[in-house]
Amino acid sequence: MSLQKLSTVFRFMLYKTNAKSLLITTAIVSWALLLATVLFSAESARQAGVARVALPYVNNLLIIAFITATFLHQRLSADNLKGIDFIGYLWNLFSKAGVAAYLSVALYLSYRMVTGYANLQSPLLLHLVYLINFGLLVIFLAKAFYIWRQLLLYHKNKFLQIAWNWFELLLFGTLLLTLFNFDYTSYVFLPLLALLGFYILFLCTNLKWVAYLTFNNKSRSLVLLGAILLSCYIFARFFHQLANSRELIIDFTDVAFLPLAMVFVGAYTLAAFLVSLFSLPTSSVFEQKSEDLLNFQRLSQSIQQGQSEVQVYDMLFDSTIKAADASAAWFEQMRNSEPQVTHLLHIGSEQIQRIRHLLLAYNIHNIDYINNNLDRNPGFRELQLPWKSLIILPIKSKKNLFGVLYLLKDIEQGFDRETVNVLRTFTSQTILTIENLRLVKESLQNERYKEELKIATQVQESLIPKTFPVDSWFEISTHAVAAKEVGGDFYDFLQLSESRIAIIIGDVSGKGISAAFHMAQMKGIFHGLMQQDMPPSEFMKQANSALSRCLEKTSFITSSLYIIDYRMKGFVFARAGHCHTLYYNAMMDEVFYFQTEGLGLGIIRDKSYNNHVREMYYDYNPGDVMVIYTDGIVEGRSPANEEYGEDRLLYMLTQTYHLDAEDIKYAIINDLQDFTGPDNLYDDQTLLVIKFKTIQPNS
Amino acid sequence: MPMKITNEPKDTTIIITLDGELDASSSVLLDEELSDPEIMKYSKILVDCKNLHYISSAGLGVFISHLQRFEDAQIKLIFFNMQEKVRNVFEILGLDLLMTIVSNYEEAITVSNE
Repeated sequence: MSLQKLSTVFRFMLYKTNAKSLLITTAIVSWALLLATVLFSAESARQAGVARVALPYVNNLLIIAFITATFLHQRLSADNLKGIDFIGYLWNLFSKAGVAAYLSVALYLSYRMVTGYANLQSPLLLHLVYLINFGLLVIFLAKAFYIWRQLLLYHKNKFLQIAWNWFELLLFGTLLLTLFNFDYTSYVFLPLLALLGFYILFLCTNLKWVAYLTFNNKSRSLVLLGAILLSCYIFARFFHQLANSRELIIDFTDVAFLPLAMVFVGAYTLAAFLVSLFSLPTSSVFEQKSEDLLNFQRLSQSIQQGQSEVQVYDMLFDSTIKAADASAAWFEQMRNSEPQVTHLLHIGSEQIQRIRHLLLAYNIHNIDYINNNLDRNPGFRELQLPWKSLIILPIKSKKNLFGVLYLLKDIEQGFDRETVNVLRTFTSQTILTIENLRLVKESLQNERYKEELKIATQVQESLIPKTFPVDSWFEISTHAVAAKEVGGDFYDFLQLSESRIAIIIGDVSGKGISAAFHMAQMKGIFHGLMQQDMPPSEFMKQANSALSRCLEKTSFITSSLYIIDYRMKGFVFARAGHCHTLYYNAMMDEVFYFQTEGLGLGIIRDKSYNNHVREMYYDYNPGDVMVIYTDGIVEGRSPANEEYGEDRLLYMLTQTYHLDAEDIKYAIINDLQDFTGPDNLYDDQTLLVIKFKTIQPNS
Repeated sequence: MPMKITNEPKDTTIIITLDGELDASSSVLLDEELSDPEIMKYSKILVDCKNLHYISSAGLGVFISHLQRFEDAQIKLIFFNMQEKVRNVFEILGLDLLMTIVSNYEEAITVSNE
């Protein structure tokens, strides 16, 4: 809060306090003056023996000043009343103003006793009592008037606010009648009085606050309202009795404002009393409804509050028992599709077993079922249960059965349509909550999987060699992308001796985690077997036998293994179902695919595989280019669903064989990406380009 | 394009027609078809590949996984009307040496009766 704002608030408070004390002073002074003039005129009237030589205009002015000051003071005070503690309002009214009536009675009775005991007439004393009672009455009316205003305008609308403002204005307007000393009972003012009467009747219908009282509060408010009504009656009776009394020189019933205000206060109190009284029997229904509402709210909020399923079931169990006023209940939660009783109320597990057996026999367990007269059913009659009504509410979504709720009541027709509707709403809200809770949990789980997949990607990346040995006799350039987080393509190399290097490429069928595992396995087999330095066909045979034991039935691996010996200027290779090797022979100046036979690994899982793998030896020339790849390259699809194909790959090499290995690779990859278009990766793509060099100074 | 698999039993022969692309998801359907115990009643399974436009490694895996079972039960598995592109996939993997792939229906019938 800024300083300026603070000072405004402070000034306003100061102003309010000032106004209040000013009003109190005005009220006290005007009342004291009124008392003085009345006593003076009474005394002079008694001495002069002449009745009623009052100063009506002065008195009326003082009366108006007193009434106005008191009402305005209460008007300011009533603003402090806030909230919905209606009992607090009533108590405030009774304790601070209602008791004034009893005080006035006590005062009047003691006056009577004193005069009766001393047997003397004392007009001065009578006037004093009369005026004190007048003061008390005005305070009572002012307090009641503005507290009723607070209650009457509870849940107000604009129309009601305007209506009230006019009523207040009209009522204060009647003070003018007093000012000019008109007799308000004359026929001229009858329409005004009638208007005010109807106004009061209309205002008395605004009793919304009563509905918000609970049963207990209503009983207490009845007592308080009764006491306030009695206060009204005491005042009315007192002033009515002394009206037109010959002993008094002043009559406050002539002030139109007072009876009108009294009628309003009395009528509103009476209306509130009667409405409270008659709504007493129905208040439990209203309470139940508002409690149901609160429970719904609690259920639907339980997701945000991070509650567990158990807490949701707790809430369901308690809420439905309260809503249905059930005498006994139990709840079975499905755990691994076996029902397990988790909640019990006023029922033994032995009784539950008997009821469940019976329901199982009738084949009505786990479905919506209501029986409002158990005794009529011979099966239930036999069980001799103390209950007469049963409802079964399964908590199930389209896919899952979460649990079953059983409610029992000791009366017939215990579950009427209204109750069943409420119960169903509870169960459907519970289902929603449980499903949402599970969704939240699942998405957290997915998040965790994603994290783990990220780790798998990193692990797999580390399995693929980043750098090949740099040597002067050949160039090698590689390209590898996975379509998903983890792929099934792999390649690796192993330096067998100073002049020999083994290069392997492979593709595991399928994608995802299982493919990634097999790929890692293949890498292990490659390094394990090639330590022993064996020919490629032998490697394939042993790899097939090793993989046969661990690969699942529908999986297989395609692979090619090349052993290049640069001292011999040749290489030997075997193909196991893998894509044909593309080759450029510099001497012949020709580009072709090696057409060799060879079955994929894991297709035949016995010795007969040995007949299905061939080995080939080839002498290379400087400037020869070997292109090794996986099917992700040749099966790359264009937007028109055409395959990239072996022919286009071959054509690309005829155009680029004279380039460096790195540039050949980029040329092929760029062409492939032009063909497939961007973001059109369905399969892992791996490409290795090896160029045998012209100059071999090392050798 | 979704895969359509239809079968047409004829005495001891059943003709399975594959229509569409046999990828990871549609190969599950094929696996169900071939895993059906009913299929073991026939002595010849002829697979019509006329409208098979593409076969993924998962699709190949399904045939491979049933291959041994059919061989043990002496059921002949014969592919016919295979498109060049698809045949190439079979050949690269070396399956053409394990499975019988013929050019048309008549040839398939002849081979199956051998």
